[in-house]
Amino acid sequence: MPGTNGALRQFTRRTALTALGAGIVGATAASWPRLTAMDIPGRGDNSLSIAIMGTAADAAARQKVIDAFAKVHPEIKVKVQAIQAVDWKDFFTKILTMVAAGTPPDVVYVATEGAQLFAEKLAHPLDEYLRRDADHMKEYFEDVHPSLVEAFMYKGSLFQLPIDWNAANMYYNTASFRQAGLDRPADDWTHMDFRSTLAAMKKVKPQDFTPYYWTNRLFGGVVPWLYANDTSFLKETKSTGGEWLWDGFYANDPSRSLRSGGYQWLEPNADDPRVFESFDYLRGLVKDGLGVRPEEGGGSALIGLFASNRIGTTPAGGYWVQGLHEAGMTEDGFDVQFFPKWRTQRHQFGTAGYAIMKTAKDKDAAWEWVKFSSSKEAMQIVFPTPNTTPARRSMVNEELYAGTGPRNWKVFYETLDKFPTTGPIPAPPQQAAVETALMKNVSLAVSGDERQLKQALESMQRDLELALRRQP
Amino acid sequence: MSTATSTPTGTGRKPGGRQVTHKHSQPSKRGRVQQRWLPWAFLAPTIVGMGIFTLLPIVASVALAFFRWDIISAPTFVGFDNFAEVVQDPTVRVSFLNSIVFVIVAVALQLGLALGLAIMVQEKLPAWLRVFFRSAFFFPLILSAASVSIFMRYLFNEQFGVVNWLLSLVGIPAVPWLTTPGGSAAVVILVYVWQNFGFSFLLFVGGLASIPVETYEAASIDGATGWRKHFYVTLPLLSPTTLVASVMAIINALQVFDQPYVLTRGGPGDSTRTAVMVIFESAFQRLEFGQASAIGVILTLIIMAITAAQFRLSKRFVFYQ
Repeated sequence: MPGTNGALRQFTRRTALTALGAGIVGATAASWPRLTAMDIPGRGDNSLSIAIMGTAADAAARQKVIDAFAKVHPEIKVKVQAIQAVDWKDFFTKILTMVAAGTPPDVVYVATEGAQLFAEKLAHPLDEYLRRDADHMKEYFEDVHPSLVEAFMYKGSLFQLPIDWNAANMYYNTASFRQAGLDRPADDWTHMDFRSTLAAMKKVKPQDFTPYYWTNRLFGGVVPWLYANDTSFLKETKSTGGEWLWDGFYANDPSRSLRSGGYQWLEPNADDPRVFESFDYLRGLVKDGLGVRPEEGGGSALIGLFASNRIGTTPAGGYWVQGLHEAGMTEDGFDVQFFPKWRTQRHQFGTAGYAIMKTAKDKDAAWEWVKFSSSKEAMQIVFPTPNTTPARRSMVNEELYAGTGPRNWKVFYETLDKFPTTGPIPAPPQQAAVETALMKNVSLAVSGDERQLKQALESMQRDLELALRRQP
Repeated sequence: MSTATSTPTGTGRKPGGRQVTHKHSQPSKRGRVQQRWLPWAFLAPTIVGMGIFTLLPIVASVALAFFRWDIISAPTFVGFDNFAEVVQDPTVRVSFLNSIVFVIVAVALQLGLALGLAIMVQEKLPAWLRVFFRSAFFFPLILSAASVSIFMRYLFNEQFGVVNWLLSLVGIPAVPWLTTPGGSAAVVILVYVWQNFGFSFLLFVGGLASIPVETYEAASIDGATGWRKHFYVTLPLLSPTTLVASVMAIINALQVFDQPYVLTRGGPGDSTRTAVMVIFESAFQRLEFGQASAIGVILTLIIMAITAAQFRLSKRFVFYQ
């Protein structure tokens, strides 16, 4: 029946269009919070929005701290936003995009790599709060080494409280050492001892074994060798100021006289003869098959390779312990020693802590979070396993490393005590550009002849000049 | 005998033969309004979407090239300073040169491989295998370039990679794929071509299918055999497809980012740094958004110039049936 079919067709079309319209309206209404970005943690309400680097699982793992914080400050609501990133540089890029989009978090967990970028442009100094709550904070500073705190000083103000940190110590595979007839190296082993150690391992191990594995990064790459050789690829100076902090909290510390208003890296230093000497040493390791030619970034497969006894030594911090344990390494399967000595035995370290953003809606509430996070109670919740080194000395203890190793876990914190000039990752506000300038020239510097090394360092000097040309 | 026809605007004839005027033959005022605005109503979502998400960013990006802006502070007008700095920056110059070399090598390999395989698949394989290979060659394209590159990074690792292990089985010593300029450039090109040739392959398969069999028969009668047939028949008749495939391949290759960024981070040195990588680094690492825009504008102009040149040359080299 044509009439019926026509009516049916018309009815169906109208119904379909109505349904489609209703569907669009419904979907728009349902996704309104997303379309207007109201679902971003902390937006549209008074919650304190906290950004950390990690996955949704990492954010969920912070729930216990949030619960503990809620007991102390029920009036402050907290929302943690985990941002996935390949490395800190990538994380900061994403935070900057949030700032550009007008949705900055109130508090951000920032590592040394971004400390000065945040201090210069984004973060609010903690000075007034520390002065106000000096009595309460005394206990924290007594438990935290001043070297870590100094890494967060910038132009005389403190911008973050260190929560965790890691120095570039030297991990070694004990089975490979035994096989090569090597004992645990001495605390003051030199770079030449290190070379002999690698050569001994290479002699007895199969071809797919790498005596020294290192990565081309700002932390743990070439920089620890530069520090040990009493130099760096950037000229390091210190700014004045900060007496209020050092006199207030570290007046009796033996290293008080070393402390300053913060590190400054204003000029390149790749043309320093000691930089050449350090690179030439690494070039020798690569040339003789004792060390790998480092890939840029790299290191993602490192734990697996080390745990499967295919790597003899590698520089890393306390963050590695839990990973090795989970990869199946036994307590005595690995150990850690100080980084080898050259002209000095100055180590490189990186630390991290919360920074309050200038744009934070409620800075007082943000400070309460920062203060609580630095408490022993909060840090014990956050660091139940050795997947980093807690900034509090009292927490780096037998209990933390029980069942995982390494036997000489004391090396981690003693790095700061024994070598008080141990310094942070060289990371000026232009850190990302500086890191790129360093990384892109390292592989070439260590993988050719002396002429290529010279060219690579000249190129690095030029790139660094470009990276640092605009000073804040 | 007349037939019953009816169009929305025309006239109709009833079966009895009496001509009638259809009630919709003269559109009402409402109908005329509908006719005028309805197409725009349908186009509106696309126009608005393109305006907001394509046109506006292009205009904003061009404007930004004349400012210094670090995302955080207010932008300041600097005229042509960004362009001047970009032109003087050796890294930017090298990256553009790398991009051009990459385009020449990668596109030649991509099109050559795609055409060769398309001819082989179309001519030599039975129908059921053709379907299999069409899917198989296209498959890499649907994978994420970043995850493919991460995977390839493991495969080409100097110490622990499968590629070097396989080479060692035939007595070839470990190759430093990702830590030497030549090795890393080769891997980036290899991974890019492997992932992208499938699209050109499909275009060529379509083009080959549209060449009439009679043309080949005529060529055979004239004595053409084997590769001569392909050279004198296939390639000329496939030239419109080749033009489209090469335009798309060149534009894509000039925008390469994922593979070099994940595989080598542009290194060692600047050996695998491309123009788009420098845009990313300027914007998100050096916080020089103005400079990044200036590089983007220059790259866009280069792409437009190359594409225009291709179409101009096509008048001489492309044969339309």
